[in-house]
Amino acid sequence: MSVEATEMEPIAARSEHALKREEAAIARTYMGRVPWEMVVWGLGNFVLWLSIWPLTFTGALPIWAAFALSTLSITICYLPSHEAQHSIIAAEGSRLRWLNELVGHVSIIPLLFPYRIAWITHKQHHAHTNDPELDPDYGNKGDTWWQSVWNGIQDRQFGANSGNKNTLKRSDDPNIGKAIREATILSLAHYGIMTALAWKGYAIEAALIWWLPRHIAMTYIQVFLSWAPHHPMEETGRDRDTRAWRSPVGTILSMGMEYHIVHHLFPRIPLFRTGPAYHEIRGLLDERGCRNDRPDRQSLAVRP
Amino acid sequence: MRFVGSNAMLSAAGPVLFGGAFLAPLIAQSLEAISLPVPFGLEPIHFGLALGLTLGVLAAARGRWV
Repeated sequence: MSVEATEMEPIAARSEHALKREEAAIARTYMGRVPWEMVVWGLGNFVLWLSIWPLTFTGALPIWAAFALSTLSITICYLPSHEAQHSIIAAEGSRLRWLNELVGHVSIIPLLFPYRIAWITHKQHHAHTNDPELDPDYGNKGDTWWQSVWNGIQDRQFGANSGNKNTLKRSDDPNIGKAIREATILSLAHYGIMTALAWKGYAIEAALIWWLPRHIAMTYIQVFLSWAPHHPMEETGRDRDTRAWRSPVGTILSMGMEYHIVHHLFPRIPLFRTGPAYHEIRGLLDERGCRNDRPDRQSLAVRP
Repeated sequence: MRFVGSNAMLSAAGPVLFGGAFLAPLIAQSLEAISLPVPFGLEPIHFGLALGLTLGVLAAARGRWV
């Protein structure tokens, strides 16, 4: 089904309800397939990141290359876990649910952002996008990307009244206790490993393979997954709280977030399919007044 | 909620521990790697401990590293 296929009934003549129904019907055609590329990406990237350590310690990889590779690896590790947070790899109760959970937990370890914490806070982001009090990502708001970088760094400080921290304090999610226990274990393990490496004479390696890359990755992710797709973070409501936009650095470097409106409207569509889905439903989105800052936005007739 | 109490305690102790346990050897090994003279004629690790712990205490007092 496509927008073109509905030319028998002009878009301008249809009700909001009919437009939404057609949009959902198209969106459903992009859901349901297991995104195996995300499984390979998530688990493969984790193995790649692990392999950087012995390669550096044995001298096979120079430290500058280890730093660059690790920064890249940690930067791209969030997205497969994000797919798992939305049960895109396998829904609850399905045969491959274990794989969904495996990718969700394992892929995000280098970022030190435990899966269950990410899952709980991300659900609140979707439910309360751009709400200053309730959106855990609101701390990344900024007039410019560099202001967002600074605000994001401030929001991550241990003493900050951060959105994530407040979301967890408020949470009545049945998994909150388990999530906090896992976060504590991951954090203690991280600092234990870093300390042991440092006192064994590998402090520079630990700093350049994990500590600094993680901070760079977190900042990059916040700019492209949080700030850019929701900028200026002033509107609420699922049609306007995020947008379609064209990234000056392209789709790959902005990690596919140019079609974030599709993700918020239909969170079960895999990342790699949000672009094609957008191009098929963009006429409907524009007609309904969804936020679209792309130059290919369609100026359609206003509905009566 | 238990999380709030334990988190507040970790928040206070965390930066000091990080300063002594990780930043100190990092500072010492960085000085050695770039062959910088250690101020006051100290051993690199002693200087690292002094600077790392100071930074950690300051961070704990301010609630932030930067």
